[in-house]
Amino acid sequence: MFKPKNPIKQGLNIIIVGCGKVGITLIEQLCKEGHDITIIDKNPSKIQTLTNLYDVMGIVGNGASYSVQMDAGIESSDLIIAVTDSDELNLLCCTVARRVGNCAAIARVRTPDYSKEVGYLREKLGLAMIINPELEAAKEAARILYLPTALEVNSFAHGQAEMIKFRIPEGNLLDGMAISRLSSSITNKVLICAIERDGEVHIPSGDFIMRSGDIISFVASRKTAKGFLVEIGFKTNQVKNTLIIGGGKAAYYLANQLLHAGISVKIIESDKARCEELSVLLPKAIIINGDGTDEELLKEEGIGYVESFIPLTGIDEENIMLTLYARQVSKAKIITKINRINFKEVISKLDLGSLIYPRYITSEAIIAYVRAKKDSMDSNIETLYHMFDYRAEAIEFRVDKKSDVTGISLADLSLKKNLLISFINRNGSIIVPSGQDCIKVGDTVMIVTTHTGFNDIQDILA
Amino acid sequence: MNSSIIRYILGYVLKMEAILMLLPCLVAVIYQEREGFYYLSVALLCGLCGQLMAHKKPASFVFYLKEGCISTALSWIFLSFFGCLPFWFSKEIPSFTDALFETISGFTTTGASILSDVEALSHCALFWRSFTHWIGGMGVLVFLLAIIPLSGGSHINLMRAESPGPSVGKLVPKVKYTARILYMIYLGMTILEVILLLLGKMPFFDALNTSFGTAGTGGFGIKNDSIGGYSPYLQWVVTIFMILFGVNFNAYYYVLFHNLKKAIGMEEVKYYFFIILTSIAIIFFDILSISKGVFDALTHASFQVGSIITTTGFSTMDFNLWPQTSKTVLILLMFVGACAGSTGGGIKVSRFVLLFKTVIKELNSYIHPKSIKKINMEGKPVEHEVTRSVNVYFITFMILFSLSVFALSFEGRDLTTNFTAVAATINNIGPGLELVGPTQNFGLFKNFSKYVLMFDMLAGRLELFPLLILFHPAVWKDLFTCKISSKKTEA
Repeated sequence: MFKPKNPIKQGLNIIIVGCGKVGITLIEQLCKEGHDITIIDKNPSKIQTLTNLYDVMGIVGNGASYSVQMDAGIESSDLIIAVTDSDELNLLCCTVARRVGNCAAIARVRTPDYSKEVGYLREKLGLAMIINPELEAAKEAARILYLPTALEVNSFAHGQAEMIKFRIPEGNLLDGMAISRLSSSITNKVLICAIERDGEVHIPSGDFIMRSGDIISFVASRKTAKGFLVEIGFKTNQVKNTLIIGGGKAAYYLANQLLHAGISVKIIESDKARCEELSVLLPKAIIINGDGTDEELLKEEGIGYVESFIPLTGIDEENIMLTLYARQVSKAKIITKINRINFKEVISKLDLGSLIYPRYITSEAIIAYVRAKKDSMDSNIETLYHMFDYRAEAIEFRVDKKSDVTGISLADLSLKKNLLISFINRNGSIIVPSGQDCIKVGDTVMIVTTHTGFNDIQDILA
Repeated sequence: MNSSIIRYILGYVLKMEAILMLLPCLVAVIYQEREGFYYLSVALLCGLCGQLMAHKKPASFVFYLKEGCISTALSWIFLSFFGCLPFWFSKEIPSFTDALFETISGFTTTGASILSDVEALSHCALFWRSFTHWIGGMGVLVFLLAIIPLSGGSHINLMRAESPGPSVGKLVPKVKYTARILYMIYLGMTILEVILLLLGKMPFFDALNTSFGTAGTGGFGIKNDSIGGYSPYLQWVVTIFMILFGVNFNAYYYVLFHNLKKAIGMEEVKYYFFIILTSIAIIFFDILSISKGVFDALTHASFQVGSIITTTGFSTMDFNLWPQTSKTVLILLMFVGACAGSTGGGIKVSRFVLLFKTVIKELNSYIHPKSIKKINMEGKPVEHEVTRSVNVYFITFMILFSLSVFALSFEGRDLTTNFTAVAATINNIGPGLELVGPTQNFGLFKNFSKYVLMFDMLAGRLELFPLLILFHPAVWKDLFTCKISSKKTEA
């Protein structure tokens, strides 16, 4: 006869407060990774829908209230993530949770007022992490603008290394070249770690031949990356000016960063009061009060000759239309922000160029944290990126202890298939590994893989 | 509609039934009964069918409420069909309709029998009869959820379709662990009852079967006089466990893992015990004069109340001979039923509490027409959707009930018999009054009426809508077109 086993908890007990866009992405991802999730939201119908869709327990109520948190089982939780619309509520949620239970807390705080005090808040309130999707989105947009040829730029090893994604144009040097020839003919300090061709993601081996139209992700240290791109015939100058449509929080963060980097910024915002606020916050930027979707206004403000164009309105459809329009009338580098992830496949087929999904950026950071928390025996996840719509993961591990992977030359390790060790960061210098290199204690190691759910550096072994 | 997942789930259910059917084979080996071979062969047949259906993995594991309901309803029909085959093959119940009636009555934990002499059955048949109660009590799919690895999150739809009650919640975030906890409690309480019965010197086989009948709130006895022949101690043990199995299982979870306060504070459980105590008191005073003594009256009154409100249907005496007041109380209790989230049937205490509160709200709105008030249950405001579904449930229940009584009336029996026969089946109780009273059986009905009653039993157990949805034209259309398109792709 069947004997029921004790419910063995494999995952963490996680409470997610607020089921907005980021909340749902988190539920979806963390569910996949097998955690026990309780969700809290004030809206009963939202809870109803989500509990039907995902294997989670739903509680209707105010997440910051003690009794609601008790209902959700805060005492036995490992982590609470507060991602409601309100920063204050998120912080209160985490503060209450820290007092009641013994769990880590992550809050979303996105108002610029607090963003300068994130470090202070985090320390004083004892939070594990404060996330700011708008700021992260702005940072990512800024990284792309510094290197406009790239479709995506992600930084690893505290900015020491970068993973850059670009599309090989017609007639490029790389067209028809095997990857093994790359090191001999151009440079050996660059590692191509993933290639998307016809909707499929490949982790390439040496005999893989690149073609035009492929989307390539490579890893290199910050300095060599630019050199490599110049070598294969790209312009790598950062843009000089930019036109931003919509003056929301992301626009503010982005403008702030770009102005610091000496890029001139023009923002078109339709709300007069917000324009005035922005003009105080960003004295160096040109703030224009008007409808960003007005063709005449865009022409007047020079969409034809601007070097980069970034629609950051709150409405995805508007952003996409603006991008399509801009592609017709100008040669500007365009970055499109997409808030929702519905219809993602359709959007990616539109070939809009660089896309930014603030939801993903946030959830990636949280998932990296959760995975590291789940298994922090020998190593820790420093950073995690989902590449090519979740089809590949780039994970940076910190190796804290001796294990089966340390001290053995990479050629002698039996690694899983579809996995690549992209770089080893030893005391701040980036090593693009060859077969003779080995992983040492104290390194951080980045791998790219199409497997999912790696928690530990030892997972790379077959 | 995702018909492949329905097929897959059905396959799993059949495979599981095959395994469960090996238990009566074991009984047959112990008692050296020839009938065991029928169980073995049906188990093999069942396993084979299950293997065929579950062999191919479905293209998508996503399913929504409708798939959940349909697979639940079909699972129960398939289970009953295969479950009745051994009775039929072994000629212990010669008619197929009767065998099916008996099995459905078992799985739905009704306990209405067509047999006049159960003691003539083989041990393995008796065991299988009682064991169907145990399987059906907590639910087959809940069991399935506890053991098979379905990935994705929509299985709550399966659980929702099978578990009794107006709203189904989870105890822990994952369906799998919720189902496991429920089954652990279920199994633990069953074992406890077996031990207590053994302490009262009941033979092991009897104790096992009685416990199965009690745990599932089923009511198949293995003696012709049900529980009447056992000592008062055993009757009291059965009484207490019947009432305990009628309590919302969440209460036990709170007792085990959380705090007692929360368990005691459960509104539904409070009303449940209130109704039980009041009914016992009324019947006690009513039958005091015709009983052998105070203790005897109390034993019978509480046993019968416990048996009827939890929809078990065991009996210690023929309550058909009781005074009218007592009989009426018992009939009313039939409709009330046990708590939501228990193994019992009926309309459920929580639904009645909600209905009652709705009526009070309605009355208040005549006095203060513009007042706004939310109905509270378990200390939380009840969503309008829930009250609406409770009202609709009640109305649908009444319509189905009336139609069934009407359908039975063609046989020309008295109204009490027809009325209580339907009440006893749709509420999953077992015995009714008059010709279907505790000492009688359902064998007297014609085949047509038996099928009506079978339908009532299934509808009652699955809480109407999962079964009724099978009659929705869209479902047929979907299933039909899916089949055609899949054939096309195969070709």
